[in-house]
Amino acid sequence: MVEFRNVSYTYPNGQHALSHVNLKIEDNEFAFVVGANGAGKSTLIKLILRELNATEGEVIVNGFNLSKMKQRKIPKLRRTIGVVFQDFRLIPNMTVYDNVAFALRVIDAPTKYIRSRVPYVISLVGLTAKAKSYPNDLSGGEQQRVALARALVNDPQLIIADEPTGNVDPARSFEIVDLLKAINECGTTVMMVTHQHELVRYFGGRIININTGAIVFDEIIAGSAALDDETEGGE
Amino acid sequence: MRLNSFKYLVKQGFSGLWFNRVNSFASLCVMTISLLMVGISVLVSFNVTKMIGAIESRNEVIVVIKDGTPENNITLLGSQLSSNPNVFEVNYYSRDEALAGMQEGMTEDEKSLFQFMSENPLPDCYRIRVSDIDKLSDTVNQIQQLEFVEQVQSPNDFANILTSIRNVSAILFSAVTLSLIIVCFVIISNSTRASVYARRREISIMRYVGASKSFVEIPFFVEGLVIGVVSAAIAFGLTWFAYSEIFSMFTTDMNMLSIFGLTAIIPFESIAVRIAIAYVLVGIILSAVGTVISTRKHLKA
Repeated sequence: MVEFRNVSYTYPNGQHALSHVNLKIEDNEFAFVVGANGAGKSTLIKLILRELNATEGEVIVNGFNLSKMKQRKIPKLRRTIGVVFQDFRLIPNMTVYDNVAFALRVIDAPTKYIRSRVPYVISLVGLTAKAKSYPNDLSGGEQQRVALARALVNDPQLIIADEPTGNVDPARSFEIVDLLKAINECGTTVMMVTHQHELVRYFGGRIININTGAIVFDEIIAGSAALDDETEGGE
Repeated sequence: MRLNSFKYLVKQGFSGLWFNRVNSFASLCVMTISLLMVGISVLVSFNVTKMIGAIESRNEVIVVIKDGTPENNITLLGSQLSSNPNVFEVNYYSRDEALAGMQEGMTEDEKSLFQFMSENPLPDCYRIRVSDIDKLSDTVNQIQQLEFVEQVQSPNDFANILTSIRNVSAILFSAVTLSLIIVCFVIISNSTRASVYARRREISIMRYVGASKSFVEIPFFVEGLVIGVVSAAIAFGLTWFAYSEIFSMFTTDMNMLSIFGLTAIIPFESIAVRIAIAYVLVGIILSAVGTVISTRKHLKA
């Protein structure tokens, strides 16, 4: 669960990134966050990950009140969140398996658990055959699926996908969102930041639009995919 | 922390060392030189102190008694000398003993010259030893003030030279060591920055998946620790070799032996453990602590 209570953030150079934002994303929800460059989307993510601390108001994520959180507790918060980036951020000299296992190794997970969990998550994203490949041998879509597996492997309560389809060709973009939807259906809250309006229009759901640091639109819309299904069903 | 995680982090530290080998090598060299300087300064100061001690224990100050001083006043002077806190041994040396001593080692011809002397020209004197050579000139001044003292002969110059060597070497080595420590920190900081930069991608992922601070820092600490311990070992080896050479020079060269004696130089074996501990400690403190401090600095950025 993500909750922003009257949150404002001003950068040290005086730039106001967010002003008086109120937002609540419930558990198991799927929300698209859209907005132009510089609208405040990245600041929103940084506040959720506690890379930044709100200058005003309260941010509550997965039961942690981030405004009162001590520095040493931050790793605990981040273990409840999986993050996927536009540029994948995979380690090039590690195989797919090692990239995914890395996320468990660095949080001191037992080796036995790593050995059973990693192949399972890799199979969820459909990359079992490429577990021994290196990131540079994979396509953009495949690399993003590895990144997704890495975000999932800790079994997080919340997945933040920051423009996960930005470096993926359009056809594969739909597959990535399909995967995120499937993850959401298994009970994980998903927040996906995107620029690709056709994806939003296609999938529909909760759309949060940020503009110049404020939420200007927050509603649930029906996606064309759902409409297509209905049409197909009607025929 | 689990054993497997610990092994993993240590492995990461070693791979960081290899990946960053040019900087690691630079750190290793600077660290070794710094440790050598520290070691040399400690060894020099140990040995100079020992030499001063050796010379102190053998050095004699000769207090010449005024001619014609009555017997009881000579005794009084002896007790005055004994009461000086810096004097630990007082021996009376009569003019007859002095003459006999002088003739010792002379040829018969040379000795025959003394037959024509109507009386012994040598004075009575006291031979005394001081416990602290640093205070020698003060002690000599005090003795000179005493009644019935004609003259005081002391190895003042030599004592002054040794004391100066000790003081100058202490100051010089402290200054050199301090500057090397600063250079060490700069090099280590630079090396750590390069290492953090090389692993920036992993570090950023580690942070996002919730790795604790120690998990991020331990590989760098391992890098520092390895550099510290290896440079301590190299410095110890070099010191051992160089010191043994110097030791054999001192113990086989007759000139050196005559000046300082056999016991003046400390054998390496008797101080090896202390030197090794000092090297490892200084190596670890300089390198590992330096690495951790600079890791924190660079990771914040």
